[in-house]
Amino acid sequence: MVVPVRAVRIIAIAAVTVAFLVPLGWTGLAAVGVLPDDSTWPPSWTGPPTLDHIAQIGVAEPTFWQELATSTLAAMVASCLTVAVAFPAAFGLARSRLSGGRSATQGFVVLASLPVMAYVIPLAELSRRVHLIDTFAGITLAEAAVTTPLAVFVLHGAVAQLPTEWEEAAVIDGAGLLRVLGRVVLPLVAPSVAATMVVMFVLDWNMLLVPLVLTSGEVKTVPVALSDFFTFERELDWPTAAAALIVSLAPLAVLVGVFHRALESFALLAPGGRDIG
Amino acid sequence: MRLTRRDRLLLFAPLASLLGGWLIVPALVGLAATLTTYSPLTTTVAFAGWQNYSNVLRDPQFGVAARNVAIFTLVAVPLEVGLGFGIAYLLRRPFRGRSSWRVLLLLPWLVSPIAAGVMWHYLLGGATGIVNFVLDWVGRPEAASPIGDVRLALAATIAIEVWRMAPFVTFLLLPGLVAIPEERWEQATLAGASWFRRVVNVALPEVAALMLTVGMLVTGLSLGSFDTILILTGGGPGTATLTPALYSYDRAFVTNDWPTGAASAWLIATGVAIIGVAYIRISRRWWSR
Repeated sequence: MVVPVRAVRIIAIAAVTVAFLVPLGWTGLAAVGVLPDDSTWPPSWTGPPTLDHIAQIGVAEPTFWQELATSTLAAMVASCLTVAVAFPAAFGLARSRLSGGRSATQGFVVLASLPVMAYVIPLAELSRRVHLIDTFAGITLAEAAVTTPLAVFVLHGAVAQLPTEWEEAAVIDGAGLLRVLGRVVLPLVAPSVAATMVVMFVLDWNMLLVPLVLTSGEVKTVPVALSDFFTFERELDWPTAAAALIVSLAPLAVLVGVFHRALESFALLAPGGRDIG
Repeated sequence: MRLTRRDRLLLFAPLASLLGGWLIVPALVGLAATLTTYSPLTTTVAFAGWQNYSNVLRDPQFGVAARNVAIFTLVAVPLEVGLGFGIAYLLRRPFRGRSSWRVLLLLPWLVSPIAAGVMWHYLLGGATGIVNFVLDWVGRPEAASPIGDVRLALAATIAIEVWRMAPFVTFLLLPGLVAIPEERWEQATLAGASWFRRVVNVALPEVAALMLTVGMLVTGLSLGSFDTILILTGGGPGTATLTPALYSYDRAFVTNDWPTGAASAWLIATGVAIIGVAYIRISRRWWSR
């Protein structure tokens, strides 16, 4: 018997997708008030769908919508800062033929793997001493620093792949460094830059530890709100918690959905690997 | 283009100031501080040598935390990379809407670690959970949540981490698999290679360097496991899910034993640095082949 490979593949893809997304679907149902009812057999679901629980978030956590705005702004500023800092450095790494260049690039992967906990304790202490603690600038700069090593590595891969002819032509025409960077290189790697910015936005938006230890209530992001809300005050009722989870996931889902084409350019191409040659 | 000294300065100065000021200097100042009796609460500071480190290493709680994170990493990382690779392999052939599908499968990673903890707290237990719903369906008695069980709590946190990170691994590996030229697959198929042989002889060699990099990233993240466990179990029951990151956080910010917290955090950094050196050496050897 010939196994229809294509069919098997499609079934497998569908099964995997369902398996990974069922927990989110369950949460989504709870957010609109559709809850399991275990008292019957077979178990059933309660209630017509309702938007009450989304309104309920603001009652349970009066500053939730403000925290959502803070998160958005902080992640936006931090991801832009990260890319603005990482892009020139990635270009510099790709174009300067240093003997240790390859290891240096690899070093950025190690820095990107370094857990925030490894250095956040003294960082909090230093921030306190220079009065950056509990400020918007303090947490956005710290968040940007956390994600920058990964951005350097990804953008280095993108720039290293480019042929250098356009840059050389621009230099012959009298263009300086900034002109080459802004007018020649940036347009050529625009999808990678956009994709990097989106991924950095996600990382910044979801970051807990940096805002947790660098703030004490003045500036509050959604993950911090979720943590102290849930652990220390009281146990939320599930539909409200689910609504808060879905609402805080939605902006990322929309962002990633809008940029799904650009995200195809988010690749950790190994520098000097076979794909670059 | 040829870069002058001034060009280099312009290109690297922003990176050096951001990483220097917010990562490297804090880390080194922290290292220096942990060799003294420094703490935010004290006014006099004396040299303490390795005292803080030996205190941490002699603390049985830290020992348990180190053992937990070792199990966590050794189980979670291979599962994440293996599962992530498997899913990427399924998606490697082009089909309509593949790029949308790639981001649809990325959804679990978009859930923040802290939100994943909140979510699975409800999904694993109680009348609201998915587990008891299924148990009811098959007519079995309801089960208590595994996160309250000393024997199952660590396994539950690993499963949640794999659920969140395997999709991210797929997202990172797929471009590497897609970049393999179609001829390589065709040659292997014509040579009569089985499905398994194609994976081992065509796919794995092409993405090995990429997998190593992804492996490094997820290993570092595992060694720093913090957010999900903080919200889900707080390290408990007992010390069943305590990790070095939770231990450091607790010492530095909850029990105000700053030197111990900062020293144990430096031990996490040391662990990642050792693996990082191995990573750089292995990848260099691969490329010089």
